[in-house]
Amino acid sequence: MAYLQMHGITKLYPASGVLANDAVDLSVEENEIHAVIGENGAGKSTLMKLLYGLEQPDAGEIHFRGKHVAIRDPLAANRLGIGMVHQHFKLVPDFTVAENVVLGMEPRKQGLFIDRQSAVKDVTKVIEEHGFSIDPKQKAKDLTVGQMQQVEIVKMLYRNAELLILDEPTSVLTEQEIESLFATLGNLLSRGKTIILITHKLDEVTHMSHRVTVMRGGKVVAVRNTSDVDKRELSRLMVGKDILLQVNRGPTTYGDTVLEMKEISIRCRGQERPLLDRIDLQVRSGELVGIAGVGGNGLAEIEDVIGGLRGATQGSMFLNGVDVTSFSSEQLREAGLAYVPADRLHRGASLPSTVRENCIVTKHHDFLRAGVLQRRDVREFTRHLIDQFSIAASEGMPAGNLSGGNIQKMILARELSGQSNFILFSEPTWGLDIASSQFVYEKMLELRERGAGVLLISSNLDEILGLADTILVLYRGRVVGRLENTDTLSKEIIGEYMLGLRDDSHGPHETNQTEVRRG
Amino acid sequence: MSNSSFPVPMLHSTIRIMAPFLLAALGGLFTELAGMLNIALEGLMLIGAFFSVVFAAATGSLFLGIVLGIAASVAAAYVFGFISLNLRANVFITGLATNLFAEGITVVLAFQIFGNKGVIRFENLARLPVLSIPSLQRIPVLGDILVGHNVLVYVSWIMVVVAAIIIYKTPFGLRIRGTGSNPGAVEAIGLSPKRYRMYAILISGFTCGLAGAILSLQMGAFVPGITAGRGWIALVAIYLGNKTPLGIFIACMVFGFAESFSNYAQGAIDVPADFILSFPYIITVIAMIGFSIVQHYRLKGSDT
Repeated sequence: MAYLQMHGITKLYPASGVLANDAVDLSVEENEIHAVIGENGAGKSTLMKLLYGLEQPDAGEIHFRGKHVAIRDPLAANRLGIGMVHQHFKLVPDFTVAENVVLGMEPRKQGLFIDRQSAVKDVTKVIEEHGFSIDPKQKAKDLTVGQMQQVEIVKMLYRNAELLILDEPTSVLTEQEIESLFATLGNLLSRGKTIILITHKLDEVTHMSHRVTVMRGGKVVAVRNTSDVDKRELSRLMVGKDILLQVNRGPTTYGDTVLEMKEISIRCRGQERPLLDRIDLQVRSGELVGIAGVGGNGLAEIEDVIGGLRGATQGSMFLNGVDVTSFSSEQLREAGLAYVPADRLHRGASLPSTVRENCIVTKHHDFLRAGVLQRRDVREFTRHLIDQFSIAASEGMPAGNLSGGNIQKMILARELSGQSNFILFSEPTWGLDIASSQFVYEKMLELRERGAGVLLISSNLDEILGLADTILVLYRGRVVGRLENTDTLSKEIIGEYMLGLRDDSHGPHETNQTEVRRG
Repeated sequence: MSNSSFPVPMLHSTIRIMAPFLLAALGGLFTELAGMLNIALEGLMLIGAFFSVVFAAATGSLFLGIVLGIAASVAAAYVFGFISLNLRANVFITGLATNLFAEGITVVLAFQIFGNKGVIRFENLARLPVLSIPSLQRIPVLGDILVGHNVLVYVSWIMVVVAAIIIYKTPFGLRIRGTGSNPGAVEAIGLSPKRYRMYAILISGFTCGLAGAILSLQMGAFVPGITAGRGWIALVAIYLGNKTPLGIFIACMVFGFAESFSNYAQGAIDVPADFILSFPYIITVIAMIGFSIVQHYRLKGSDT
């Protein structure tokens, strides 16, 4: 039997109804680097949470080193020799490196006190053995991101982890830090450790791993030896075959530009790579523009900039010809923005508030008479929206009592009631069932036919291909592909852009140079 | 009263007065470090004050009175912690409820037992033993100020050292501080932040019970609302002391001095008594403003 054998692992999240893991099998050999890849929402992270005892599976078994094990919590995982390095570090900022590492397993003297000397000594030993570049006496808050990750790895090694799970370890690192992480992984391997590498970056898979398990939609779709596959095949396995949406996308004629972004960039202090790198974007009336990309490549940032929740550090943005670059979200809404956010539970709706309050929140001024909300008008308006969008709810209910699909319908109803000529949808069908998704698609196409400009930000390629007229693909904050949605365009091609295998922009610097030459 | 001897008794009583502040603040320091604003210090003190003096009178033993007073305060702290942590009620609201409950229950019980809603005197109660070391007392000025207090005053000093050791030298203290600073980090290694918060609340119950016992036992009486806002001032002392045991010790000394000064200044200075009595509270406000100004500049400094 394999070193680690997960068999028939199933996990359903009842609150959202998402089947995150559906009879998943994972088999890892001793002393290998095993990559687990898949798009966002493929179920990789859930599988690892189950392995590390952060959550419990609904069905399935785990065998580790030949024994059937039940992993109730992270401590149990640690005792078995399983360690996890989280994507978001779990460090105490005011503690030193040594304190962070020993926390929970402190060496003692006289049974009562922390033995600081042996803590520092033990941690130094682990650090030196593995060639890390951190000082055990330094405060965690003074470390670079790469060093923080090293502390997390040291923490697990201090706990004698033999199997290390790294959850998207490169997502926050610079190029040099990635190099040194790879060196670390090689070192760990030579010391007999086994590593599970969760990622959606194909470079890392082909560089580092021996074998790769590909997940899609909560299931394992392939297990391969890395030497037997190339990136293109992996990308095809990750995105899957084209699924035709049951929608009728009739021809429309494009009118005036409603939204325009010119060279929008977001740079964070202290970070080399910009989050958004000179994005040019145009949405015309009657046009549905889709923005595709894997999470973490700038989709969320574009949503934030258009929604007015985050200012761009460079560039300008126009809505119906008005310069709205520095507008707040309230000003943007006054200027005609309608917006269905990805985070519908926090940003899109107020769950403790009633359906009524949620429906009028963007236009409550219209219901005022002498500064007092007119209850009857509000009710009438809300009932009208409930009918029109067939929301399964009553107007006085708290929005939190609605199902995910109905919350989304409520947000749609509110956003579309204003007759805006530009509507932004971000991940509008994430976690929705087929019927609700279908409803959302029809509404989007209705808007387009009505002559509004629609921008759809989505990591779901099927809906991008099924709905969009023009498709922009983001990779590392740049538009790497700008494609007309013709019959020849396929999910595979978009997938290759998304995963960085194709790039029409020829890198961040060259675009700049051509523009300089043109000017 | 001659000018030269006036400061010595005032400083002597500063030392006596600061003890309850110090104990309550040290307990509150644990909850603060565990990441909770514990506004229940006042109520827990009040419960300790009531039950310790009542039990001391009933059993005829000061020691048993103190132990049972602390037990009552710890029990109230447990209920406060259970509702806040296990039932996930807002800790500010439950803290407020604990204070209101303490205020009510002490008066109701006093009326039930003694038929009196006002001051209840226990004439036969022994006084708290006073520590007197004649050799030390002979040290000029300092001896007069520091020696000759009741034993609980010295217990409160020992508690400063004990608290510092627990917080900085033990795994328990490390985990308490970790819980307050990043509960996610504590959870990720398989420890329960909730459990460490409960421990911190129980510790604050213990020290507040002792703080309350000092108040009532040194008077030999229970007065409704005997704590008179000391729990709140203790809360301020935690921040003013920069969340360290030694800092809290100094902050409590400032507040002890303020109260002592206002006691001595009544009649001695020609200022309205109301103003003088409010002096400790004015000091609190000024100290808090000064503290936040210093904090502000310190943050600015570390930013650049």
